[in-house]
Amino acid sequence: MRKVWIIARHEYIVNVRRIGFIFVTLLFPALGAVGLFIAVFFSGQATTLLRSQFATETQKIGVVDQSRMFTPIRAEFAKRFVAFDDENAAKQALLSDQIGAFIVIPSDYLATGKITSYIKSGLSGLTNLGSGDLTEFLVSGLLAGKVDAAYLTRASDPVELTPVTLDNKGNPAKSGGFSFIAGFVAPYVFSIMLFIAVFASSSYLLRSIADEKETRVIEIVLSSVSPTELLAGKVIGLGALGLTQVGVWLLSSLVLSGGLGALVAGAVLVLNPANFMLAALYFLLGYLLFGTIMATAGALGSNPRESQQLAGIFSFAAAIPWFFASVFFANPNATLARVLSIFPLTAPTTMMLRLPLGGVPAIDVIASLVVLLISIPVVLWGGARIFRIGLLMYGKRPSVKEIMSALKSA
Amino acid sequence: MDDLVIQVDQLQKSFNSLVAVDHLTFQVNQGEIFGLLGPNGAGKTTTIRILMDIIKADAGAVRVLGNPPGVARERIGYLPEERGLYRGLRVDETLVYLGQLKGMSSPAAKKRAAELLARVELAEWAKNKVQELSRGMQQKVQLIASLLHDPDLVILDEPFQGLDPVNVEVVKDLIRDLRAQGKTIALSAHEMSQVEALCERIVLIDHGKAVLYGALADIKKQFSPNAIEITPPLSFDGWVEVERTETHDHRQLIYLTKETAPREFLKKVLDRGMPIEQFEMASTPLDQIFVQVVTDGRKTEDG
Repeated sequence: MRKVWIIARHEYIVNVRRIGFIFVTLLFPALGAVGLFIAVFFSGQATTLLRSQFATETQKIGVVDQSRMFTPIRAEFAKRFVAFDDENAAKQALLSDQIGAFIVIPSDYLATGKITSYIKSGLSGLTNLGSGDLTEFLVSGLLAGKVDAAYLTRASDPVELTPVTLDNKGNPAKSGGFSFIAGFVAPYVFSIMLFIAVFASSSYLLRSIADEKETRVIEIVLSSVSPTELLAGKVIGLGALGLTQVGVWLLSSLVLSGGLGALVAGAVLVLNPANFMLAALYFLLGYLLFGTIMATAGALGSNPRESQQLAGIFSFAAAIPWFFASVFFANPNATLARVLSIFPLTAPTTMMLRLPLGGVPAIDVIASLVVLLISIPVVLWGGARIFRIGLLMYGKRPSVKEIMSALKSA
Repeated sequence: MDDLVIQVDQLQKSFNSLVAVDHLTFQVNQGEIFGLLGPNGAGKTTTIRILMDIIKADAGAVRVLGNPPGVARERIGYLPEERGLYRGLRVDETLVYLGQLKGMSSPAAKKRAAELLARVELAEWAKNKVQELSRGMQQKVQLIASLLHDPDLVILDEPFQGLDPVNVEVVKDLIRDLRAQGKTIALSAHEMSQVEALCERIVLIDHGKAVLYGALADIKKQFSPNAIEITPPLSFDGWVEVERTETHDHRQLIYLTKETAPREFLKKVLDRGMPIEQFEMASTPLDQIFVQVVTDGRKTEDG
């Protein structure tokens, strides 16, 4: 272990003082500070500018009502909608920016429900329509005079949802803003941090290994330490480097948020420690797994670019659960979610996405942790063997046969 | 058995269909300078990497300092053939790190690095980055890195590669000093003439197999003709002891008959007052011995 720490310390110290690392690490806080500066000193002007670009609510929507159900425009909608006799008139008004958009309600609207909307090119036209306003206008036109005013109001805005999550005993979970953040936000933050830390650290790992191969110093190092010690030292040292970078970014965002972030972070820890601790554990195990895989990929590549490509495949695996996030939201215990929770490459991110939704069976948590705890030493063992043959291959990559032979050898 | 520093027995290693090391057997004794010689691609570096546990053998037994490879790393100094340094680090930082990997403490590594840098006249470059040194200087630093931790066994793979003649002699002096301190040195080279004067015992490798093995003096005696070399060339017409002579560049090689002892012949020449300026026993260079052995071996294989 002593040599592992020597290597880890060396990698950390050498890379933390690189100009490139310092620049990238300070870049985001600097950009944040610049953004804050602009917000504080130019907020008035910025607001005016933004309003002039995105002030869609001040522009009216034209209505060509062939169904005769919605015109004349009722008083309560007069600020938002304006009637036109025909499409040409509405078109001219749109082209001359008198209106932000217009709709044509056909004579058979009641039967079909179809309405055609017209906007000018550009994204602002879409937001001009403001679907909430349009729905309210149409519902009001359909039901006005046919139902009581209270029913008309409710039909226009039928729901304001208050979610309550039940635990396994049927008791309501803690409600409130902080609890939501503690249980829900923290694991997502950890999964994003894992992603960033994996990407940040993997680039340093790859570069470090590629440099040592390119400069041929690797053989001297391998004469002093075993491939396992070298691999472990690099993963730890450069992982700490990646975490340092993420830590600086988090700290700067806490400072720039005026301490609000620190308050939230504190609340997270106090109000839902279980989720917080599990998320932190999955983050650590996930990093160890991916870090080892990245380092091995670095040794396999015949040149730095190839190493990056190989590493990219595994980085993609870490992101796969995000593609199915909507499935998890709908059903956190879907078969897909449970399968991804026990596949080593997707387990950390999947569990960090499932945990905040609640109701994850304990067996799933235990199984995913066990899978990771078994996978990490296995990957380290295999990675060290592949590391050994890959490191000495200059300008070419080990073949699949050579890799299998390395894994089988004593 | 304690005197055996390296024991290699029936070592085998292949890379796909290429047999790199083919049933190689040799031993290195405590305190000697041993040569692992052969042309490029003979299997020297592969053998050395197996000794250093950088790669694994397919078959055979290997003991280094009484242990399997990889156990006694901290007692071995290694200079690989494919060698480099951390270009962006300072010279002293690089040496201290490599020394720490060999089990030294940071202060001890710093002190020893300073001593060795002074020994090779690089003391003033200690605070410079490695990339600022010339290639020859970098190679000296690489050599220092292999000796920093005062190893018992020093393995040097092509130590003279890329060095100018002056630095070749500096390195040879260093090797002799190590020998005088009781260290064991195993070095490999493809230019055999460079190591003839250094090695006591050798193994000559061709296509992974040992073609010659043993004490250098015995090998040279076995393959050298019964002849002496003199300067300037003289006439030996009518001498019954002389089979033939060859003259090259003012040096004359005199081939004696089998029954004639060189010592007796020289005595006779000197007694007659012949004007000899220089004389020495004729010795076939190692690379010529190698070519002869390999050629004969291939002729035998071809039947």
